[in-house]
Amino acid sequence: MKKILIIEDDLLISSLVQFRLKKDGYDTHLVQDGNEGVKAIDTLNPDLIITDVMMPFRSGIEIIHHAKKHQPDTPIIVLSSLGEEEQVVLEAFNLGVSDFIPKPFNPNELAIRVKRILQ
Amino acid sequence: MRTFLLLTFLSLLTISWTRLEAQESIIPQDSTDFGDFLVLQDQVPGLSFRWQIKDKSLPESLLLDSLFLFAKTDSGYISQPMEHFAQLHEMSSRFGLDSLNVGLSYRVYSEEVSWQGAREYLANLVRNGDYQPIYEVKDVSEDLVVLAKKTPYSPFLKFKILFISDYKLFIVTAVIIFFFVVSIVMIIFMIILKVKKSKREQHKKEYENLIIDPLTSLLFEKELDEISVMKASDFHAYFPAELLQKVLFKEVLIQKIIGLNKKMKGEFKGKLKTIYQKLDLDKMSIQSLKSGKWYKITQGLVEINEMDLVEALTEVKGHANSDNFHVRSQAVATLLNLSEKVDLNFLKDQTFPLSEWQQMNYLRIIKFVSNVKPLKLEVLFESSNQSIRVFGIKLVRMLGRLDLLVNLANISEEVGLEEQIEILETYETLGAHMEVGFINRCLSSENEELAFAAAKAAFSLGDENSVKLIYSRLAKDQLSFKLKKQLLKTLHALDISKFDQATIGASDPISGQIRAHILDPLLSHV
Amino acid sequence: MYSFLFYFLLEVFGLMFLILSFAVISIYILLMILSALEMRDYLRKNRFADYGDIITSPIAPGVSILAPAFNEGMTIVQNAQSLLSLHYGKFEVIIINDGSKDDTLEKLIESFELEKTNFAYFPEIETKPVRGIYRSKNMSFRRLVVIDKENGGKADALNTGINVANMEILACIDVDCILSSDSISRMVRPFMEETNRSVIAVGGVIGIANNCDVQDGTVTQYRVPETMLGKYQVIEYFRAFLMGRMAWSRINGLMLISGAFGFFKTDLVRKVGGYFPKTVGEDMELVVRMRRYMEEAKIPYKLGFVPDPLCWTEVPENAAILSRQRNRWMRGTIETLQLHQAMRLNPKYGILGMISYPFWAIFEKSAPILETAGLLYTLILLVTGDFSAIYFFALLALMYLLSLLVSAFSVLYEQVAFNNYKDKKDLRKLIWMIIIEPFTVHPKIVWWGLKGHIDFIKGKGGWGSMIRTGFKKAEDKKNIQTQATTS
Repeated sequence: MKKILIIEDDLLISSLVQFRLKKDGYDTHLVQDGNEGVKAIDTLNPDLIITDVMMPFRSGIEIIHHAKKHQPDTPIIVLSSLGEEEQVVLEAFNLGVSDFIPKPFNPNELAIRVKRILQ
Repeated sequence: MRTFLLLTFLSLLTISWTRLEAQESIIPQDSTDFGDFLVLQDQVPGLSFRWQIKDKSLPESLLLDSLFLFAKTDSGYISQPMEHFAQLHEMSSRFGLDSLNVGLSYRVYSEEVSWQGAREYLANLVRNGDYQPIYEVKDVSEDLVVLAKKTPYSPFLKFKILFISDYKLFIVTAVIIFFFVVSIVMIIFMIILKVKKSKREQHKKEYENLIIDPLTSLLFEKELDEISVMKASDFHAYFPAELLQKVLFKEVLIQKIIGLNKKMKGEFKGKLKTIYQKLDLDKMSIQSLKSGKWYKITQGLVEINEMDLVEALTEVKGHANSDNFHVRSQAVATLLNLSEKVDLNFLKDQTFPLSEWQQMNYLRIIKFVSNVKPLKLEVLFESSNQSIRVFGIKLVRMLGRLDLLVNLANISEEVGLEEQIEILETYETLGAHMEVGFINRCLSSENEELAFAAAKAAFSLGDENSVKLIYSRLAKDQLSFKLKKQLLKTLHALDISKFDQATIGASDPISGQIRAHILDPLLSHV
Repeated sequence: MYSFLFYFLLEVFGLMFLILSFAVISIYILLMILSALEMRDYLRKNRFADYGDIITSPIAPGVSILAPAFNEGMTIVQNAQSLLSLHYGKFEVIIINDGSKDDTLEKLIESFELEKTNFAYFPEIETKPVRGIYRSKNMSFRRLVVIDKENGGKADALNTGINVANMEILACIDVDCILSSDSISRMVRPFMEETNRSVIAVGGVIGIANNCDVQDGTVTQYRVPETMLGKYQVIEYFRAFLMGRMAWSRINGLMLISGAFGFFKTDLVRKVGGYFPKTVGEDMELVVRMRRYMEEAKIPYKLGFVPDPLCWTEVPENAAILSRQRNRWMRGTIETLQLHQAMRLNPKYGILGMISYPFWAIFEKSAPILETAGLLYTLILLVTGDFSAIYFFALLALMYLLSLLVSAFSVLYEQVAFNNYKDKKDLRKLIWMIIIEPFTVHPKIVWWGLKGHIDFIKGKGGWGSMIRTGFKKAEDKKNIQTQATTS
């Protein structure tokens, strides 16, 4: 079973995403802030990371930095609460994320993208 | 303050003065009492007395009395001078039996004085503090007033205790009571607030946890048409019926649904809206518009806006000209968002000036709705509110409404300065080449700001006429640095040879500096 | 007669101290209530604010960040980088190298690929000569402007920045401040919000970064500093910012916006002639002068205040450095009040003249003197065996309780509004500090304030008399030559 780490401070959004991904048979883990996120990346060794960009303590950009440094092969999907702000999109893709989904988003669409990336 | 202190000081002085006088007045005012007073003193320095008898003959016993040592005078006899007044009573008793014309004569040192003179002398001594009169020790049962009058006076100590300590006591007590009352009230208030808040928070957390799972499964398990045929009782399988009665629970539910609605796309939005209405949460939102508190109304407006509660539009309209900034902004935003065809007349009729914050919010919404609904921006140009007119022109620019350039051209000559500046900027952004005549007219304006905006617009839109105007203006006018820089920049863009003429060998150093700035490749692309 | 005078003075002072302590208690309680109301309104307002919008909206005003740097070679590159990465649409970062003796400028040139330009600007405010204005070839650093000038002090450096700035709003900051990434958008909001009044300046809260974890420009983990002076300052900053300034902003009576983090309307700053480099309290003086200008011109205006924690700085925990800072603050206060004494109790200046000015004169400027005098007074009463000594003892105890109440409330505010110090241990440390502070650190602060007074009186130099006579009008600053021969 593939492990997916979800880093998202909005509990409702994250549990929605979790619910949807569980339905597809993934093992999902939830953390709610940047610090926890960085810790979880190190200990959990996930197959995919889904992260927000704006969070308490550490921004998504920092988390991507960290993940790319320690686990360069793990794909990352950004779930952006900053919409499609140019700077963020560019920075994220520059750092090598696999996908960028701006909020508002459709969980079903996310599930499809996850499936595609993990195949 | 200073005069106040001086006055207090003076009044204090007078008080002590009258007290001293009072002490002196203790000396009796009539001759007999004065005599008695002297008996009590026995001796007063410098004051003596002699007995005077105005009779031709004197009994043998008195004549020989060694106490008196009477001597014969022209009018009678006179005794030797004596200082012990205590003996007065005893002496007068010796005259008692014989009916003699006896009198007392006082002496100050060796000078003969009347009894008033003697009294005056004694009073003087007392006043100067040279003599402390002795008081008769009397029974308290006697007249208290007399007693009080005779009590010795000690100036400062008494005064302090009686007066000062009293007001201090008063103020200190007042301060302490005030402090304690207020701080206790505040502490109780804060504690109540904190307890209430943490209780609320606790409940909210609890409710949140109760909401997340059912809401999630509801969204994924049911299709939109399934949800829309659900009855109120069907929801009880997801949310406990007794909780749905609670206001706080409903508030948390509203908050969650709205939060989710903002971040969701596609079919989920429709599902959320249906759930919202099925649970009667929309009634709560509309109800809060009737609240007296601005933040509740604003909250209600936000909810109506997010959940597209079109049925509340008439009530929303009532708040569009509210005194409260937040209510007003949110009401306008909601109206813009929800109206069937965006009728900007209500915005036109706003009486309050638009702040930048509101403009920003309205712009975002108008930008969004202009993609789906027709928008009659031009009504804003007719507003009697200047800030709305300016905003209307800004909108033409920001929405790229080239079709409205004609309308701007029609009004450009008669509107005020601010609108003209805004129009120039719009021409510049939208590339309105046909309006170069207006730009050139503004170029020669006396008003700095307008000329500056025109110069900026001429940078990309200018023609030969602009070059001429700029060149002559640079040559003859005293210009501010800012305007000069812009004019030269524009001239550089339109006609480099004229630019060289204007700057090379110019007498003032500023032109040279600006030239260097404009020609610097590092600065040109910034 | 002598003893009469002695006792008389004793009485007069006694009355004075009683009135004063009554005033102190009432005013502080009033401040507490006002700040609580303001905080409540602010938090309510914040619920409806979408700050993400400001970042990209074309309507939001541009911001010029001015950061003077003097011998900052060690940290300048990192600091500049974090300023450049702030989340905002239209802004520029102007770093003014104030004649540093180290390699500040070289490091900047090297890291940001800077080149000297022929930037032309109008030196509206006179400053020390500018040696060069640098910009980057690299487009990613297009927001950066570096000014190299001869040393002239912080105010002079800021004035140079004001001359060069291109945007409508100036953000004057200390270059070593840590700014949260949304700080500009939050600070800009009050400027955009008013409809009928113009907002001339907005102040923010300064947090204490000592002993906190900082990562890429934000504080990630709050911890109370280890030293007593550090902990004291945490409480003091809560008191000053969350309570004091919050309350003053409610009645629009703010007189001070911290020089480490303040936003101003550019055109007005230029109109009044920028900072006054000859006072040590240039940040307070500018705010007072700007307000005075608006009052004299009779234009309705407002000062904004944003209580969100957006800016952090390292405060001195060393007694010698702190004493110098406090001495300077005191002198700055005295000088500013002197320069603007025309406003004292002058109803023409509204709240500024009738409330703010007298408050500062009594409770900020004269506080150390009055406190010392009060203590001496009680001692004298005790020595002379006066009966009323007991009252004054009660008053002292009351003052102590008041300080407890005020400090405890400001900590509570922080807890209710932001709750940054989450660790219970930290909270306990702060509470213990509140209890012992009046006996341990406070006397030192009072002493440093007194020394500030002494140094002010001793202060000589050409500007001493200028400061003593004061400005006749707000624009007077413009008419004096700042490029003077002193210094």
